[in-house]
Amino acid sequence: MKVLIQFIKDGLFTITHGRKSYHVWMSVLTLAMLVGAYCYYIQLDEGLAVTGMSDNVSWGLYISNFTFLVGVAAAAVMLVLPTYILKDLDFKQAVLIGEGLAVAALIMCIAFVVADVGGPANLWHMIPGIGTFNFPNSMLAWDMIVLNGYLLINITIPLYILGKHYMNKKANEKVYLPGVFLSVFWAVGIHMVTAFLYQGLQARPFWNNALLGPRFLASAFAAGPALIIIILGIIRKYTKFQIEEKTIKKIAKVVTVAAQINLVMLGSELFKEFYSPTHHSQSAFYLFFGLDGKGALVPWIWTAISFNVFATVILTFHKLRNNMNILYTACLLLFVAIWIEKGFGLIVPGFIPGSYGKIVEYMPSMIEVGVTLGIWAMGAFIFTVLARVGISIETGQMRYKK
Amino acid sequence: MTKGNNKMLKTCIYSAFAILFTLVVSCQHKEGDAHSHHHGVMDKIEAETGKVDSIPISSDYLNEHIKKIVVDDGEHHFLIPERESHMTSFPCSKCHTDDLDKIQEPEKGKKAHWDIKLQHADISIMNCTTCHSAHNMDKLRTITNETIDLNESYKLCGQCHSGQLKDWKGGGHGKREGGWAPPRVSKTCTNCHNPHSPGFEPRWPSRLNTQKIIERK
Amino acid sequence: MCKENNHSPLQNREAKDADLPLEAAQTEVDGFDQVFDMQMNRRSAFKRITAGLVAGIGAAATSCSVAGSEKSAEKAQMEWEEYFKGNYKVMTEEEKKATVKRIEKSYEQRSGNSLSVSSKEATPGVLFGYAFNISKCQGYMDCINACVEENNQDRSTQMQYIRIHEIEKGHGINFEKADDNYYHEVPAKNHFYMGTQCFHCENPPCVEVCPVQATWKEEDGIVVIDYDWCIGCRYCMAACPYDGRRFNWQTPEIKESEVNKNQHYLGNRLRKKGVMEKCTFCIQRSRNGKNPACVEACPTGARIFGNLLDPTSEIRWVLENKKVFRLKEDLGTEPKFWYYMD
Repeated sequence: MKVLIQFIKDGLFTITHGRKSYHVWMSVLTLAMLVGAYCYYIQLDEGLAVTGMSDNVSWGLYISNFTFLVGVAAAAVMLVLPTYILKDLDFKQAVLIGEGLAVAALIMCIAFVVADVGGPANLWHMIPGIGTFNFPNSMLAWDMIVLNGYLLINITIPLYILGKHYMNKKANEKVYLPGVFLSVFWAVGIHMVTAFLYQGLQARPFWNNALLGPRFLASAFAAGPALIIIILGIIRKYTKFQIEEKTIKKIAKVVTVAAQINLVMLGSELFKEFYSPTHHSQSAFYLFFGLDGKGALVPWIWTAISFNVFATVILTFHKLRNNMNILYTACLLLFVAIWIEKGFGLIVPGFIPGSYGKIVEYMPSMIEVGVTLGIWAMGAFIFTVLARVGISIETGQMRYKK
Repeated sequence: MTKGNNKMLKTCIYSAFAILFTLVVSCQHKEGDAHSHHHGVMDKIEAETGKVDSIPISSDYLNEHIKKIVVDDGEHHFLIPERESHMTSFPCSKCHTDDLDKIQEPEKGKKAHWDIKLQHADISIMNCTTCHSAHNMDKLRTITNETIDLNESYKLCGQCHSGQLKDWKGGGHGKREGGWAPPRVSKTCTNCHNPHSPGFEPRWPSRLNTQKIIERK
Repeated sequence: MCKENNHSPLQNREAKDADLPLEAAQTEVDGFDQVFDMQMNRRSAFKRITAGLVAGIGAAATSCSVAGSEKSAEKAQMEWEEYFKGNYKVMTEEEKKATVKRIEKSYEQRSGNSLSVSSKEATPGVLFGYAFNISKCQGYMDCINACVEENNQDRSTQMQYIRIHEIEKGHGINFEKADDNYYHEVPAKNHFYMGTQCFHCENPPCVEVCPVQATWKEEDGIVVIDYDWCIGCRYCMAACPYDGRRFNWQTPEIKESEVNKNQHYLGNRLRKKGVMEKCTFCIQRSRNGKNPACVEACPTGARIFGNLLDPTSEIRWVLENKKVFRLKEDLGTEPKFWYYMD
């Protein structure tokens, strides 16, 4: 108990003290969160009519970001797997960062779902036991279970390890290893279940294909670790936390393979849609070329495709990949590309054309953008706090003093 | 240590399979639920028809005010609204006391029923006396010169419109009085169609959704 | 026979453009948020941010406002019970009756007018089905007006459950060549008309996906929604292949004088913002033996409704004697809404 109070005290001290750039960063995030909260208030007050969504495109920016972030959260497993199971020590420093990222991403996921529903006050209807939970029929019910479960796992494992280190003890592998194993399977699970959320809808041919789940995994294992590489780069530059270049290069290999597989799957999907175009290819036509003179997504998707191909090509060549600055650029391009492709590039065309061929486009409103930025800021805020505490413990700055 | 890890790995793989199995089983369960053991709705209709002898819902309370007559051709049995008591100057023989050719006085000016405009087939095919009996104004007349009650005008219409008559008797043409519940009271031909001009006039739709126009811009 | 066109839509539009604030003031806001909105609007910007933050954390904004408002204890308790009532689907008979009573009472307190909300259950031996005669529909859209008036749909967004598609002949049933918002003399040359709405699938994908079982298929085949249990995730909307579902993107508005007071809990009772709604085959009418409003309003007799389990019903005759088809049959949803031609 005493340790816990001290831990909270030390933690608060750590996150409230830093250099000027840190304070500026946190203030900017806080401001963005406040703007987001204000936008959300307007949305609560007036209803979802203030968003760009309509009866035609009934999911938009929120669900797009939710889908993408599930992938980012799942990608933490890419680091856990080699570290604990294959005993590859290179990844050990990166793994806490990865799990912190997973926690932040999951909280963002849940926040996006809450922002998207029409009656957030009614969300208690989902709590098993109190509400009527539609399990196992509804994939959204599955998703809520796996996301919250994954969140729990990813909070407890680092908490246990960091807590032990904080108390100057060694973490017992026998305690946390089962949790690590579980999280490996769980991470694949959260992503597959999220894919099934869309894949299972016979009403939306754009989503209703068997490749959606595997493609989700491949793109997630590209985008997630790509983000981790960028973050590790920043941490390396600004903190005393020791991350070897070897580690980053190893993660880069993971990103490369995942990006390559993702491209193969993309090619396969494009072949199916355009070699023998059926009535069901209309959404793909809309996405890539526009329909009836309407093509709001066309510039976005081509940006994504070109970023994606370009980054994958760079990563494929060892010489280019081993140059840190080029690697960071490639990772950023890949991250942005997948955010577009698996965010609104996936969700919005599913609704266009509508059930009876109507083409009604979707454009997020400023309120929606505000809330989205606010949630991203919240995610960044949470991650910064977690990473700062974690790094302080690991570098020995924050330790329990008797 | 590595041995322990291997064991753990195995356990994990087994449990993963167990989860997968549960998933598959639960999905199958769901399938069974959704179809309630029938392949489609037609199978369900077939299986469940006749399981309940009679339902307690009736449309009688909706049709109390209507005076009805029975239509029964052996195959179908239903009711239609009675017509004659609703006609303002029935029986027609109150005025038309004699045969039509005897009471015609063209030199006196406007004919009776001058306001009726006949728009039913070509005038060379049909005129007033195609349906009205010139000798018995209270009745309708078939093409074979039989008389039909005004109440049973469907028999007259059905001479030419046999397809519609068949559909109407079955229930694929026309409308119900009251509601869907038995006993069936159907509107008769002249409840919807003006026999002198049976077609429906073109007109404008009763609404325009201005919101949808904005939405689809 | 034909229903009179009481309010020309064009006239409506002009009125809206001219005196929008006036009309907004006249419009009685219904649903839950009515009381709370007025208080909230007076709050300062700072308080707004705080409120947003609180809500953002996930606190139940509605219940908080209830506690803070100066209502009588009884009313507060009623709101409390209303908020924490269970899913209608799993309520007992008594709970259903109490819930329905509470809605009637709360409406009376709010508007001073009385309301009748039914909780009538499905009748054994009844399975509702619908048939639509493509040859007969002339595109008058009288059904839509009747539906909107019967079911208390939001007037401000002009929500409508039914769509009448004007389809060009010569392309088959091609909805891409269709317009569901035409405004010219009908029937238009070289076109035919086809109505769509919720098809009350026997195997409804919308019911499968709902995470909280707020929508389900009743014993008589009607797919219903508990508007108060719905969380507004719109997963059902994505799952429906027929565009049968509607979402209340904002607080629905109906003039008090236009509210249909003859209601059913699962049917046309007043909705609030952020929940789904849809056609219920006018459950408040059909469970009492009446036809849905659209069937009654159709001047051409293109709409047939009845009991699929009654071998003497018209709907059964149509299924057995006409060449019927359904939309997107390959999806396995088994709609109980058939199309046929003369």
